[in-house]
Amino acid sequence: MSTSARTDIFARLRHAAGSAGEDVLARRDELGHAPPPALPAEDLAEAFLCNVLRNRGSIDTAADRSAAVKAVGRYVYQHYRSQRLVAGNDPRLAAMPWRDAGVLPRFGALESGEAVALSFARLGVAELGAAVTWTGKGNPAVNNLLPEHHIVLVDVDDLVATMEDAWQRMADAMREQGRPRGVNFIAGPSSTADIEGQLVYGAHGPRHWHVILLGETAPDTGQRARERAAGS
Amino acid sequence: MESTSDRFLLNASEALRDTPRAQRRDVMAAFTPLIRNAAVEGFAAFEATRQHVKRVRQHSLDNLAFYLGQFEHEAVQNGMRVHFARDAGEMNSTVLDICQQHGARRVAKGKSMVTEETGLNDFLQDAGLTVRETDLGEYIIQEAGETPSHIVGPALHKSADEIRDLFLQKHDLGERELAATGDMVDEARQVLRRQFLDAEVGIIGSNALIAENGYSMLVTNEGNGDLCANLPPVLVICTTIDRVLPRAEDAAAMLRLLVRSATGQAQTCYTSYYSGPRRAQDPDGPLETHIVLLDNGRSDILEGDYREMLECIRCGACLNHCPIYSSVGGHAYGWVYPGPMGSVLTPLLTSLEASAALPNACTACGRCAEVCPADIPLPDLLRDLRAQESEQRIDAARWRLGLRMHAWLARQPRLYRALTSLAMTLLHRLGHRRGAFRRLPLASGWTGQRDFPVPQGKTFMQRYRQRQREH
Repeated sequence: MSTSARTDIFARLRHAAGSAGEDVLARRDELGHAPPPALPAEDLAEAFLCNVLRNRGSIDTAADRSAAVKAVGRYVYQHYRSQRLVAGNDPRLAAMPWRDAGVLPRFGALESGEAVALSFARLGVAELGAAVTWTGKGNPAVNNLLPEHHIVLVDVDDLVATMEDAWQRMADAMREQGRPRGVNFIAGPSSTADIEGQLVYGAHGPRHWHVILLGETAPDTGQRARERAAGS
Repeated sequence: MESTSDRFLLNASEALRDTPRAQRRDVMAAFTPLIRNAAVEGFAAFEATRQHVKRVRQHSLDNLAFYLGQFEHEAVQNGMRVHFARDAGEMNSTVLDICQQHGARRVAKGKSMVTEETGLNDFLQDAGLTVRETDLGEYIIQEAGETPSHIVGPALHKSADEIRDLFLQKHDLGERELAATGDMVDEARQVLRRQFLDAEVGIIGSNALIAENGYSMLVTNEGNGDLCANLPPVLVICTTIDRVLPRAEDAAAMLRLLVRSATGQAQTCYTSYYSGPRRAQDPDGPLETHIVLLDNGRSDILEGDYREMLECIRCGACLNHCPIYSSVGGHAYGWVYPGPMGSVLTPLLTSLEASAALPNACTACGRCAEVCPADIPLPDLLRDLRAQESEQRIDAARWRLGLRMHAWLARQPRLYRALTSLAMTLLHRLGHRRGAFRRLPLASGWTGQRDFPVPQGKTFMQRYRQRQREH
């Protein structure tokens, strides 16, 4: 049945729209690109963090990897008075100087009872204030979806301005590494407005989303992002 | 889904008598356009993006066979199993087959208007499966045994009190009262998390299919769709053939319009792209992934005069801005898709005979076309459907007679002006002391609801000429 449905539908489409010549892709390329969206700040890091805040994420900055693990440790301790967290088998996370912070994640997929998960984003998209992760060993999907707190590390070198830039970079990576099962753009804690249009956080996924920007940024980038987000 | 679109006028009257709900609809109608406008104003490139996406959508539809073929090829490369379904029945039985092959009994489902269209839940449940809707809005209406009233917020017709009562009645809550909205969301979160973990099959919809890489895009705020796509061992994506876009960047451009138009956000929490089962090294994710591509009348629409309707991105902005939708609510329309987009789609996907009232449920105010991110001329399409009703003699004979008489008269300007002038003078003389008529012969449709103001004595054309002479 499926084969004949397929044949039938394609025949109808060819009849309705005329048969596509080989120049379809050439005409596609002539369509050009969408106009680039404006960013809230000229500085990419500031624009990214500002949009993270607008998405109701919380932010922190860390100049180097030692500062980053300390920031993670501080955050977990502040919320749970513990040092427990889970992280995917991402070599970049395994290589972090965890001893500096007195924290060591359990590496793997989040299990029942674990409240905090840490991801290392592939990319940060300034336009959206979103962190991009790929499903797989380095970041099991449940680590994005099931914790109460989701902490995401984003390297400043992995920041891009727009979604187009993000796809460009990912297309290159996919050619080398193959396509992942899933690509997730995460922009804020899970939310719903399904009851009388009232926005509530923590619908199914994390109630809190914390982004730590890792690497050299202009001084006070976080502060300026906060002021900018508060002003909008 | 069973259609009651032929009862639109009765449904609408009933809805208007339900005062608390009518008042809530008024509130929604006041604030949803505000948040949408704020989001659009905050995005300077909205209009340019809208025109770009329109060109892209037209190009995709002009070459739909090509892009659908490309999508299929790439999706298969990624490990997807691709199925085609000509109609609702084929989609439903394809999904049931997949569930049965895996001996599945429990299904967790993300929001999908396409599966509402095909009545998938009832079909699977009749075959003995348990189907759990997991979007909060869909979960609420499933518990209440209702249908969606809005394509984006399916349960917005219910008050928080009604939802609280529903949960109190359906769940074992002990001492908990669910006083705040957050408590209710929490309750659903607890109940549904178990369902996600127990489900053997997850079913989700799709906001766009990307031909160049075979990914299916899913846009949500709750994350429920992502749980459906990641936790159960089998994933089925149910969508329609017209969702295909050529490139990932086209989905990105469309997304910028979609989120702002749908919820007034600049960005939703989760935008995900899925294709294929877990890869060799992956610790989690479904072992088998299917996509069912439904036609169900789309190829007919592609061939006809209403092709632009296939460019709809299902944001719901036209619903939020429609005075008719805001007055009578989504259920009055009697099928899956309400409001202006539904009044075009329902006749095309079901039959014009059975939904003849819908193209007439329009004041021609034009707000829907103004806000439509896909730039679909909805009032024009509705007018064309009305013309078709007249041609096919679907509307009432006295309407056609009235319209024919009016059309004849309108083509005799002298006579038209003389008659309207006579009528205005007469009405003025009869009523100028009272100021308004409570009843008028041949106009009971108007005076049944409100008074008819007495004309000032002169017609527009007479006053226009008079002013021309004075200046």
